[in-house]
Amino acid sequence: MNNGKAVVLVVEDSPVIRMGAVDLVMSAGYEALEAGDADEAIRILESRNDVDLVFTDVQMPGTMDGIKLSHYIRDRWPPVRLIVASGATILEESSLPGGSRFFSKPYDDHTIIDAMAHLLSSDCDWTAAKQATLIR
Amino acid sequence: MLKHPTAHFEAASTLAVVVSSNEPLLFLSDDQKVIAASASFCRAFEIDPATIPGKRLSELGNGEWAMPKLASLLKATASGSAHIEAYEIDLKRPNQKTRQLVVNARTLDDGDIDHIRLLLAVTDVTDVRAEARLKDDLVRDKAILLQEVQHRVANSLQIIASVLMQSARRVQSEEARGHLHNAHHRVMSIAALQKQLSTSKGGDVELRAYFTQLCQSLGASMIADPDRLSIEVTADNSAVEADVSVSLGLIVTELVINALKHAFPGERTGTIVIDYQSSGNDWTLSVTDNGIGMSAGSDAPKAGLGTGIVEALAKNLRGEILLSNAGPGTAITISHQEGDRLRTDLSTAA
Repeated sequence: MNNGKAVVLVVEDSPVIRMGAVDLVMSAGYEALEAGDADEAIRILESRNDVDLVFTDVQMPGTMDGIKLSHYIRDRWPPVRLIVASGATILEESSLPGGSRFFSKPYDDHTIIDAMAHLLSSDCDWTAAKQATLIR
Repeated sequence: MLKHPTAHFEAASTLAVVVSSNEPLLFLSDDQKVIAASASFCRAFEIDPATIPGKRLSELGNGEWAMPKLASLLKATASGSAHIEAYEIDLKRPNQKTRQLVVNARTLDDGDIDHIRLLLAVTDVTDVRAEARLKDDLVRDKAILLQEVQHRVANSLQIIASVLMQSARRVQSEEARGHLHNAHHRVMSIAALQKQLSTSKGGDVELRAYFTQLCQSLGASMIADPDRLSIEVTADNSAVEADVSVSLGLIVTELVINALKHAFPGERTGTIVIDYQSSGNDWTLSVTDNGIGMSAGSDAPKAGLGTGIVEALAKNLRGEILLSNAGPGTAITISHQEGDRLRTDLSTAA
């Protein structure tokens, strides 16, 4: 959270899609940060402690894809909410950390905004997901 | 006085059967001397039949058959303690590629229990295995390629959708924004089909699942209050070819956009129902709303791009468009009846 605004980190290697996602995040009233791959995303997460949600692509160059990244984030920064999008239609939701949401590309902007609002709202019981992860 | 064992002669018919065996076959004594070898064995493993008589298995060719494992397995088979079934060995010869063999050995059961003899069948599976591996590789490559293509298509559609939405958020004119949103809906309609195709096994698209996905996508972006407006799909189990489904999907997209925009002004609540029924080659697609109904005459809205798209696609599918009053609301039905066309053809002929 920064100045009362939720902070969303967009991780996407395609510049045009990343631009669109950043635009979407800002239009929803959140602060947007951007990274072109998982390594850059981790550097950003290490450098600041106000990121509330990470919205990541799956297939990306670099050492980690979006699925590995989402697990890494859940392990290291458990409170960060996760939304994963991929061009692959069928993705095992079980392959993602508990409590994270998956959408296939092309995603609908409104659907993503709704999912972000839900994950960031206080009535979303993400702490249960976090606890489940900690217990595991 | 030395005791000479009586010479044992094999029945000519047994030898003839061995020699003429289609599958490479060796007939061995219990001490692994070659009694006979099939012509197919000599051909397959490049052994001159003239060199065979009196040789031991281990002495065949350049000694490549002297495989300790094979010898011990044959010994065990001769003693009755083991049975070689589909045992795999590698045949190594100098200056030649290793061949993968499958061997089967058993004792000859001809009632002569004093003379144990072995039948050793040898199949060269190198080429078959290589072919199977190649086929597996090809199937896997094809699946990976297809996945890659689907992934690229999804990404390309995402780029188009992202650009359209960014433009829509930037333009000042309400009308221009409307057009950009419509363009976005059309892209998402094609994307829904793409998703449906990537999960279907053959090239056919199941319409109910496709329309449901389509309407979820349209509803998510166009319906602000799901308690006020909803979209239902009541299609039967029909599945159609991919290119027919593109047309049907685009028709549904245009009609649903139109109904959401015009049928429920103000805070009016309502439902849009999409139905598709087919029987043989005949089919009927309908989009029905329980809104305010179509205005006629000079009040009727000017036909836009959406109407043009629906008319062109319906014509292409050889469907007839029918507009009717659903009381309340409007029903737009597109139907294709082969019987009707036949009758029309006959009447024109007469």
